[in-house]
Amino acid sequence: MSQLYRTAALDGIIQYPLDSMTLIFQKSSGVTHMVADPVPAILEVMAEDSLTASDVAQRLSVSYDLEDSTDVADIVLARLAELCTLGLVEQV
Amino acid sequence: MARLHHLYLTVGPARFRVASTWQRPLDQLAALYSDYPASQDDYADFTVRLEPEKPWRRYIRPSVHISGDYWLPDAAPLPLSQSLLAAEMGMNLQMALGWRRHLLLHASSVEKDGKALLMTGLSGSGKSTLSAMLSEKGWRFMGDEFALLNPDTGMVHSFPRLISLKNEAIAAMQAILPESRFGPLMTGTPKGDIRHIIPPTDAVQKMADTAKPALLLFPRFGYDPILRDMGKSEVFVRLTQASTNYVALGETGFRALTKFVDAVPTKAMDYQSGEQAEELIDSLWSQLS
Repeated sequence: MSQLYRTAALDGIIQYPLDSMTLIFQKSSGVTHMVADPVPAILEVMAEDSLTASDVAQRLSVSYDLEDSTDVADIVLARLAELCTLGLVEQV
Repeated sequence: MARLHHLYLTVGPARFRVASTWQRPLDQLAALYSDYPASQDDYADFTVRLEPEKPWRRYIRPSVHISGDYWLPDAAPLPLSQSLLAAEMGMNLQMALGWRRHLLLHASSVEKDGKALLMTGLSGSGKSTLSAMLSEKGWRFMGDEFALLNPDTGMVHSFPRLISLKNEAIAAMQAILPESRFGPLMTGTPKGDIRHIIPPTDAVQKMADTAKPALLLFPRFGYDPILRDMGKSEVFVRLTQASTNYVALGETGFRALTKFVDAVPTKAMDYQSGEQAEELIDSLWSQLS
């Protein structure tokens, strides 16, 4: 859980919330991603910092009313792995 | 190489040069597009080429191969009796693959009071027939194939090509339109029977007039009449599938489509007859602010 992550350059994406989903247009690839919660929240709390999954979970628990922080860290880790695959987040 | 015959056509903002080994499809096009503005300078955005699949197929069981600036490697040739369809398909193909000035939505559109109703859906949903029907009842026909969305202004541009009727829709429109509005009946095409109709005069005269998109419908023919709400995410995904150049336009396409989905009320509409559809559309239209 000590692996650091950071978002790819935020000016390289356009986020656009639509009802229950959020669209993310990635300028470098021209690909439109459609993501659900908690991905937009993860990207928001990460800002441009380098963070571990636990750090992200901690920031989420401050910003949002979350019940079990252990589960949150696991969920964040899984989402970060997916975002790395998409190129929206990178390992530091 | 045999000399090709030529015809220039202007439809909405797009200009086509149709080049053909045979004079026949050009004569048919010239008759059906006779009210459209004539080319002044022989400039064209796209060239469509109608040529024999093999040199001897110009005369022996003549078959028309569609090509042009943009073409599909696996497009099946059509018999000469369907060369008008080949020309129309060729023009569609150029727009679908090559047009970049607008976001293309595979949708029919009609206009009233400066506002546009767009209808999109799979083949057989009735979008083409509904646009033809409404254009005989007080709406201005803007197109039955592509709605052109201006990414800068958000306005819909007209692309009023011939209206392509298929199978049962042919008889339905023959019941209300004079024979002079119809092109030749083509039977046994890859899409069944096809007959084109010439759009109403005002559709051609006002084809440079844009309209603000006011309502988007996903019609579905053959089900009990009902209107259903649709989530914006679903609408967005379905419109990316209905656009032939969303990916090619990149960020411009993304911004245009998100703005459209956010601003335009959308419904799924099931119906079993033109009268039912007209009632549902009138009720929705009257509720628009």
